[in-house]
Amino acid sequence: MATLSEAPPPLAAAEPETKKAPRKRGKWTPYWLLLPGILWLVVFFALPMIYQGSTSIQTGSLEEGYKVTWHFVTYWDALSEYWPQFLRSVFYAAAATVLCLLLGYPLAYLIAFRAGRWRNLIMILVIAPFFTSFLIRTLAWKTILADNGPVVHVLNSLHILSVTDFLGWTAGDRVLATPLAVVCGLTYNFLPFMILPLYTSLERIDGRLHEAAGDLYAKPWTTFRKVTFPLSMPGVVSGTLLTFIPAAGDYVNAELLGSTDTRMIGNVIQTQFLRILDYPTAAALSFILMAAILAMVTIYIRRSGTEDLV
Amino acid sequence: MTTDNSGDVRLTGIGKTYDNGFTAVHPMDLTVPQGSFFALLGASGCGKTTTLRMIAGLEEPTSGTVHLGDQDVTHLPPYKRPVNTVFQSYALFPHLDIFENVAFGLRRRGIKSVKKQVEDMLELVQLQEQARKKPHQLSGGQQQRVAVARALINHPKVLLLDEPLGALDLKLRRQMQLELKRIQTEVGITFVHVTHDQEEAMTMADTVAVMNAGRVEQLGSPADLYENPNTTFVANFLGTSNLIEAEVDTKNGDDIILKAGGGKLVLPEARCSAPTTTGGKVLVGVRPEKISLTHADDAGSIPEGRNRITGKVADASFIGVSTQYVIDSPVCDEFAVYVQNIERDGRLVPGADVVLHWSPAHTFGLDAAQSLLAGTVGSAGTEEEAA
Repeated sequence: MATLSEAPPPLAAAEPETKKAPRKRGKWTPYWLLLPGILWLVVFFALPMIYQGSTSIQTGSLEEGYKVTWHFVTYWDALSEYWPQFLRSVFYAAAATVLCLLLGYPLAYLIAFRAGRWRNLIMILVIAPFFTSFLIRTLAWKTILADNGPVVHVLNSLHILSVTDFLGWTAGDRVLATPLAVVCGLTYNFLPFMILPLYTSLERIDGRLHEAAGDLYAKPWTTFRKVTFPLSMPGVVSGTLLTFIPAAGDYVNAELLGSTDTRMIGNVIQTQFLRILDYPTAAALSFILMAAILAMVTIYIRRSGTEDLV
Repeated sequence: MTTDNSGDVRLTGIGKTYDNGFTAVHPMDLTVPQGSFFALLGASGCGKTTTLRMIAGLEEPTSGTVHLGDQDVTHLPPYKRPVNTVFQSYALFPHLDIFENVAFGLRRRGIKSVKKQVEDMLELVQLQEQARKKPHQLSGGQQQRVAVARALINHPKVLLLDEPLGALDLKLRRQMQLELKRIQTEVGITFVHVTHDQEEAMTMADTVAVMNAGRVEQLGSPADLYENPNTTFVANFLGTSNLIEAEVDTKNGDDIILKAGGGKLVLPEARCSAPTTTGGKVLVGVRPEKISLTHADDAGSIPEGRNRITGKVADASFIGVSTQYVIDSPVCDEFAVYVQNIERDGRLVPGADVVLHWSPAHTFGLDAAQSLLAGTVGSAGTEEEAA
């Protein structure tokens, strides 16, 4: 108490300064805090985008140098030449996303509601592949799907390969270097990105809602359709986005597990940039891919009505 | 009461022991007659909710059977039982609006035209205006009414309520107690209500089962339980009781004469739940509001034949309708006495010598082998009781 009653005079003297200082700091603090993020965005996103944008409308050659000539025809040329790869990318990515959802949903459901004390262990197993490099994981699938490997052997003896051959997913009793292999690789590599958001949204669902649904005459399957699944929609939407977007632009899986017939748009862009050195076309393709994904995602989010979900 | 017994709930030898060895409910028999408002009352962890969940089918009993009317439902899943539950904190479906929440049960049973029924039900709970809102846009009391409507629309044989008013503030809780009672009278369905609030149980229910440590301590009408508690737990859990240890002296007709702290007390034998033998111990109980307080100077004016105890006022608190005294007496350190504020005696201040007296008819006797303090933790709300 004594120190308190003595304290005021020096405090009062210092007041004008101490009052000013926090206000000044308060005004600029948010901007200082934003600065690293903004710098990061400018250096690694905005500038490359502008640079790439200008590249896409340049003409010239490697020897003579490139000049901005507002040559938008490059876009049209790129699209008309590579539309099959675009379509294939969308198709493969969609197939992988659907497979991820079908495989990931039951697993996420199991972890969220049934795993009990095994929950953490299963979560670690889901994340474990990330401890290995993306490339090595994909190369491992080369071994798994090898022509004389066990998977092909089993599929062959069960006559599944003749069905997939007929559908055009595989060719000549091989899995490697076929669309099936590429989709398998994509599914495997992006599965955790599906499981984690699904698990998060399932885990948040109040268990009593299941009891309430059962109490109100919903059979277990109806409870799932009418209560669990609708409430997990935020997880489904973010999971499918996190899977579809990177899968559509991926080229490693098609490169390592596919053939020239399974080239995706990512492979085309990579070749244009690094082998053919046709920078304008590569840049234009990148922009088209970005715009296409953005458009699809926007429509998807609108349709699934996430803003309506709790 | 009707002769129809399809809404009877009959529990036979029902018990629940969890895998970890904890017994939530010891095997017991319980019958809730059709059309009654039945309350399971007890402190948290006494097994009342587990009992309710076994009726609902949300918990599998480890022994015994559950009958609804003549139907054995022990092994039926919840969605096949003609009962509905109002869950603690309601468990409304957050992704559905109020209309769809209420229509949920009807739709699951394949009823196509639900509009009329849902609208009627929303009218019963006065929520017509809120039909297209989502649950999180409603207040606690409104959500509670949606939960009741969602269950009642299915015309269950039995409506189970799991602490449905626990999340509401006191005023709203009172209002909803009356509302639920009104609805129950209107629809005539058997209500089984789980609560830890003794006042709530007594206000609403026709029959109350007081549960303690997985067993039913006593079952009866609220007034019966209050006037004739069989155990110290019931005596203390429902309201407040003054308990005095006494020794049996003699028997005089229908009365037992007891010795306590040098004085004599009279206890009607019919109101004693414990066996009495001369020289044996008995706990004598009396409710605080049954006792009159007279200043020691006027002791001569007390009519003959009343039980009396002398003491000193230790504390007096003015509550408005009544004054609550704590009396220090030779038989009991903290004797509670509630006196209506009709004519206040100004001499009754802390330190004053007083005589407590009451009619022998208001005395009850309990087995002395039990703890005097059982059930006292849950006896909150006694002040409101006296008021």
